[in-house]
Amino acid sequence: MLRLHDLYKVYRTDEVETVALNGVNFEVDQGEFVAVMGPSGCGKSTLLNIVGMIDDLTSGDYHFFDENVAGYGEKQLSSIRKQNIGFIFQSFNLIDELTVAENIELALLYHRMPSSQRKKRVATVMDRMGIAHRAKHLPGQLSGGQQQRVAVARAVVGNQPLILADEPTGNLDSVHGQEVMELLRSLNADGTTIVMVTHSPSHADYAHRTVNLFDGHIVTENVRAA
Amino acid sequence: MFWNNLKIALRNLRKNKLYAVINIAGLALGLAIYVFGGLLVEYERSHDLFFANAERTYTIGSYAAEDLDVGVDNMASTFSTVGPIIAAELSDVEHVARTISREMLVTMGADSFYQHMRFADSELLQIFDFDYLHGDARALNDPSGILITESSAIKYFGNTNVLGEVVTLDNEYEFYVSAVIRDVPLNSHFNSMVIMDSDLEVVAPLAALGRIRDWDLAGNWDNLSLGNMTYVMLPEHLDQEWLQDQVDGIYERQVPEDPKEVISGLFVKPLAHANLSIWDTIGMPVIAVVQLLSLLVLVVACVNYTNLATAQSLGRSREVGMRKTMGAERGQLLIQFLVESLTITAIAMVVAIAALEIVIPLFNNMADKVMELDYLRTLPWLVATTAAVGLVAGAYPAWLITRASPIDALRDVARKGKKGSKVRAVMIGAQFAISAFMLSVVTVVFVQNEMVKESSYVFPRSEIYTLGRLGIEDIQERFETLRHELEAVPNVESVAFSSQVPYEQNNSQFEVTMQPGDEAGKTRVHQMVMSPEFLDAYDIPLLAGRNLSREIGNDERSEESEVLNVLVNELTLEKLGIGSPAEALNQRFYDLDEENSLRELVIVGVVPTQNITGLFNTDKPWVFMYRPSSLRIGSVRISGSDMMGTLADVEDAWDRVIPEYPIQGRFLDEVFNDVYDILKIMNVALAGFAGVALVLALIGLFGLAAFMAAQRTREIGVRKVLGASSLQVAKLLVWQFSKPVLWALVVALPLAYMGSKTYLEFFADRINTEVIILLVAGLVAVLLAWGTVAGHAIRISRASPIIALRYE
Repeated sequence: MLRLHDLYKVYRTDEVETVALNGVNFEVDQGEFVAVMGPSGCGKSTLLNIVGMIDDLTSGDYHFFDENVAGYGEKQLSSIRKQNIGFIFQSFNLIDELTVAENIELALLYHRMPSSQRKKRVATVMDRMGIAHRAKHLPGQLSGGQQQRVAVARAVVGNQPLILADEPTGNLDSVHGQEVMELLRSLNADGTTIVMVTHSPSHADYAHRTVNLFDGHIVTENVRAA
Repeated sequence: MFWNNLKIALRNLRKNKLYAVINIAGLALGLAIYVFGGLLVEYERSHDLFFANAERTYTIGSYAAEDLDVGVDNMASTFSTVGPIIAAELSDVEHVARTISREMLVTMGADSFYQHMRFADSELLQIFDFDYLHGDARALNDPSGILITESSAIKYFGNTNVLGEVVTLDNEYEFYVSAVIRDVPLNSHFNSMVIMDSDLEVVAPLAALGRIRDWDLAGNWDNLSLGNMTYVMLPEHLDQEWLQDQVDGIYERQVPEDPKEVISGLFVKPLAHANLSIWDTIGMPVIAVVQLLSLLVLVVACVNYTNLATAQSLGRSREVGMRKTMGAERGQLLIQFLVESLTITAIAMVVAIAALEIVIPLFNNMADKVMELDYLRTLPWLVATTAAVGLVAGAYPAWLITRASPIDALRDVARKGKKGSKVRAVMIGAQFAISAFMLSVVTVVFVQNEMVKESSYVFPRSEIYTLGRLGIEDIQERFETLRHELEAVPNVESVAFSSQVPYEQNNSQFEVTMQPGDEAGKTRVHQMVMSPEFLDAYDIPLLAGRNLSREIGNDERSEESEVLNVLVNELTLEKLGIGSPAEALNQRFYDLDEENSLRELVIVGVVPTQNITGLFNTDKPWVFMYRPSSLRIGSVRISGSDMMGTLADVEDAWDRVIPEYPIQGRFLDEVFNDVYDILKIMNVALAGFAGVALVLALIGLFGLAAFMAAQRTREIGVRKVLGASSLQVAKLLVWQFSKPVLWALVVALPLAYMGSKTYLEFFADRINTEVIILLVAGLVAVLLAWGTVAGHAIRISRASPIIALRYE
């Protein structure tokens, strides 16, 4: 589904040059569930952001469905993004002024889709995530776990084939964290490809494959026995 | 999508109520001022358009000759001969009509009162299609007919059906009512020209003026009164430019040499501008200033909004990041933010219009106007203004917030970094520059006006009770009796008569030389005719020589006088090249006017140079002489505390001596205020604009300070943990805002200096402290800014460090 080759990401300020990703090669097949692990500052989130096309790469190739998107501009990237990728963040990134239903609908707003159809899709996904009774609440009125479910709902409402989750359980207690992981597993079971950054070895166990990053290099890859 | 954007806009407003109120109130204030200014300008510029021929009717005015020392550059009037010359020379012109304003004693039954009248050529009624209740446009064809307005008819007769009713003028001349018209609307120059003492009430044929006052129908080259108008109506195919060319030619060919020394040219103005002529005459571009100021206030309000919206939008960086992550394009987000600013502007416009609906009737009431907010006509303008303000004010924050890449936006880089902080500083600076500019100019205007007032106290303004309209032979014959009767009233110190009193803007001048007939050495002097008591009544000291006296033959001028003793002021000595006051005594100088029998003037006394016309006039060279037939106003100097009682006694004395004419008394204070009030109103209006601009700037600063302080909460926490004192932290926050404010002053004060110079140039006597005043005004602006910011700074600097650190 996606293939990164010899990927470099360098942050430059006036005096300092920081290499976040140092010649990374990374592939994900359709239907896979991949966990990315590593210590703080090793480049996990940077890798995820580049995969999600919300950050640009310094050099290297990025093939997404056999299309090299490395040189694409923001307009092309945003178009690919909205068709293919859903995001889940550690800090949820819900918009405080919008209700649960509106937050989820936001992901469809930039697709050309009639309002009635959008509403239907949102209702379906809310049912599936068990948050239909919270549809009219604002994010501030929900628990962390519920907020993350909304974020997951928002990530999947567009039926994107790929979900990128950046420490989706980082802000949650173990019970709510478990719930979110189960959600991701069931999504994966339904065919959605998932790439997830996590600190938690137990949550990484939900994935088919775990990639370990250290100082911008992939150091090991473990494939979980089926 | 649009509804979604609108929903977000409204929810954001609800969430940040303080910002919402500040934003909307600020914009509404700015919009209200701007719309009001626009309406006022449009109102003032569209007078008289309800007359069918308004578009092709013009007025003829005159430029004042350069060395004519009358304090104005141009006048809306011209010599009364010009009208007939135009009619005779320009056969293409459809109609020409003059109006001459005069006050007449009108008697109706037992009632006598002074009535302001316009004497007009009968063609006036061809040019202006008045709305006739009775009679028609032939009303002025009969030299004994008069046309009156509905309200005058009711005032005189109690009803409007009064054709043929008799009215007596000056106790002697009988007229009959030949037409009654509906009152002319207030937005006509007939009723709104400041130089007119009165609305259009009574119009009589110009021929009648010939009968009553020997006025020559062909007009004259002697008198240039501001209230006299000359109207010209052109056929459809001719325009202002054509008429101007024609009157330029008429000036060259037809105006004799002497009047050419008074007026340097003639000018043509559309009728719609006639009501504004007072400002042209004074030389103050009031309409342009109103436009400029209302625009500046709107700019301040826009900058205010932009600034607050920018600061606030940074808090929405994550939302932008999230939307971008989900595929929103920048254009879509720009639209979202612009819809928000348009929503806020629209709300502000509604608030502004609501406010204007309250303010305009109050203003109309106060200023005697009939301004209105005609939605049908102004809607496109209001909508365009709303759209323009919404887009302009919202453009920068929208551009800034949508600029970041998705990941930078999600990481809130904009808020953490310094992006946009320079632009914000520039905006605060711009806002403050405008407010400081206005504040300092207003202060200079105020101080200058105060100086005008202060210097006017050289004459005992509040102790002089003037008696007007004495220039009638019938009254002049009884002056001595009147004076004795008045002097007998307790608390009356002296009684004088003169041709004018201080602050009256009359300019009676003549040319004199030191050698008879010496055209080359001539100088222009101002003439004051006075009775010998004048010096005493006005506390004017003698520097040398003696006062005029009734006992000395050559002190009193008569028709046959060839030699006359006069007093002069020091400036006249200077102009004539005579040395000290003592040397001046018994020196002779000569009148250049060959039509005068009077040739030789002998100086018998010298008085100091005082600014008799006052206000914006310069000191003038005066020659004081005694000539009973030219006295037209009395000055009764009153002392003591029982003012009311004394005035009652004065009126009694008048009624005993001159029972058939009503007394026309008013204090010299009121004469002064006739003109001073115009300056004062302008100052109040300016102060209003400046006050609004300053309040807006302070509101903006307050909101921004609150926001910035919140943004720096974490930094403040760290600083406090590291040992910074509250005072140090407060200073830090205040300093953040001081730099742009100080830069603003650097820009504003030189501009204010130029602005105030322009105002001061209208005055001959100017303050010389404007630089200090500007600096003080600037300092006040800075102190206000500090005061506004300091409140937040102190509150936040006092908070416990852990609260500050927990903020994030």
